[in-house]
Amino acid sequence: MTTISNDQSTPVNVALEVESLKKSFGGVAAVDGVSFSVEKGTITGLIGPNGAGKSTMVNLISGALKPDSGHIRLDGHGIGGLEPHQIGARGLIRTFQISREYPDMTVMENLIVSAANQGEKLINVCFRPSVGKKRDRELVERALYTLVTFGLYPLRNEYARNLSGGQKRLLELSRAVMADPKVLLLDEPMAGVNPALIEKLGEHIVGLNKELGTTFVLVEHNLEIVEKICSKVIVVALGTTLAVGTMAELRKNQAVVDAYLGGDVSERVGS
Amino acid sequence: MDIILGYVTTILVFFFTYNIFTLGLNIQFGYTGILNFTVITFMAIGGYVAGVLAMPKAAAGSGIYYILGLNLPWPIAALGGVLAAGLLGYLIGQIALKRLRSDYLAIVTLATGTLLYGLIGNGTSIFDGWQGLFNVPQPFAGFRTWTPLGYSIFFTIITAILFVLLWLFANRIYKSPLGRVMRAVRDDQDVVEAFGKNTFKVRMTAMVIGSMYVGVGGVLTIAYITALSPAGWTTGETFVVWAALLVGGRGNNFGAIVGSFLVAVVFNEATRYLPQIPAHPNLIPDIRYVLIGLAVILSVYFRPQGMFPEKKNTFLEVPLGDSSKAIEEHLGGLSKVGEQ
Repeated sequence: MTTISNDQSTPVNVALEVESLKKSFGGVAAVDGVSFSVEKGTITGLIGPNGAGKSTMVNLISGALKPDSGHIRLDGHGIGGLEPHQIGARGLIRTFQISREYPDMTVMENLIVSAANQGEKLINVCFRPSVGKKRDRELVERALYTLVTFGLYPLRNEYARNLSGGQKRLLELSRAVMADPKVLLLDEPMAGVNPALIEKLGEHIVGLNKELGTTFVLVEHNLEIVEKICSKVIVVALGTTLAVGTMAELRKNQAVVDAYLGGDVSERVGS
Repeated sequence: MDIILGYVTTILVFFFTYNIFTLGLNIQFGYTGILNFTVITFMAIGGYVAGVLAMPKAAAGSGIYYILGLNLPWPIAALGGVLAAGLLGYLIGQIALKRLRSDYLAIVTLATGTLLYGLIGNGTSIFDGWQGLFNVPQPFAGFRTWTPLGYSIFFTIITAILFVLLWLFANRIYKSPLGRVMRAVRDDQDVVEAFGKNTFKVRMTAMVIGSMYVGVGGVLTIAYITALSPAGWTTGETFVVWAALLVGGRGNNFGAIVGSFLVAVVFNEATRYLPQIPAHPNLIPDIRYVLIGLAVILSVYFRPQGMFPEKKNTFLEVPLGDSSKAIEEHLGGLSKVGEQ
């Protein structure tokens, strides 16, 4: 079992650290001792062929799945085995492969409801409604500026379900910004997105990284954008770390090329 | 005149009580997306517990058996009934809300309700089994000498006041940050959880508040009718409340009122005047169910959001006058938004 440790050995500039993480489903080891670290304020890519265990890793880090063994540390504090909401509250926010907006709420509501500490306690509803109202004014202002940044301002009072696929992607990212994350874990944010918008999403990610200092972990199949915005890329295959480096370095790495081209990996994963 | 007034007050009490049920279900389902398929059980528990708290000890040899019999004054008994309904909501929530959602949650609530139905019906010493409680003292009956009509009017006013208070509170929850989080949970629980909010707690809050609402309705029912037996809270009754909410408009408390009016007053009262067919004494209540079922089918088919769908919520941007202007400038006549 994982231990919730307060390991001081983590260097101070590391935002997220994963160490010997393992998770099996039945006899299949989906994540088999993966280790990597993500430095604060960076945009780090996490790539790997299908079946490499990327999604399982995302689910383990975000608490949707519980690891069999290993450590996950956020700012040096163990988060392995915590509930998703505990991890979210500690500042690690994830997005999902498929856009998951709140369909029956407006764009504005989608943003505001994603902020931390809205005064959503029952006691406030009963006795101190002004707490929520006061906070709402701050949040409305922040949400408006965020929406302007993402070009969604004119759609603020539209139901999120009516947005186009691309707009939903922008909404997901702007919603995540409202939560003030320390680490933003994006699970294939470019999936099903046209090239022009991929470019734009990439710009937004770089912009947020520069302006707010948010650390990004980008799980992505689109290597072009990964090369463009990620300072460091981690390659995983067969549930373990295969290589770490810049995209240019990785392109020269025979093991990485083999893994992406299939070869023995597909034989073993496909079985 | 008195007969008409008496009739109207009875309908009004029924209408307000039904509204309270529907508001409770709306908080659970319309706000938070909890499929509570045993709404009526909370009405029964609220009613029964208030009943046995208000009634004197069961007389030995009378053939009537029930627990407690504390002879408490009505306000305390009523509070006890409401708290009992809330506690039952909490217990069912502990079983059903922790790991389950949508249809699985619905199955568990339905099963729990059925278990309690069997338990209360067959366990004659709890609430007098299938026979049920009767001769429950009415609230404030000894307060003054009431004429039957006077008391009915008095009771209607109490019910109306309670309804208005509960209506205001339900709207307050809806507009609050808590209500907003509840609706987000309804829309996508996993995402709310990923954003660092304890969705179990949010759902439990909605479950307990909704159960207490239905409990209030149960207390009012037993206090007005002075009796309650399992025949009065069969599983079918749960779906009448559901029908009211779905036809009226889930997520919209005004829709809940309209639905209650349609289902509890129009269908119920209109079918009462159909000619009785002696050979089929159950035909009229059955016709009522058929009509309600038809209303649900038509509503789901033609107007799935209900007659009064949930309203769009906008935020006051007035205090931001200057910044909104700045925003417009910043946009610089941007015509195209987002990307397709």
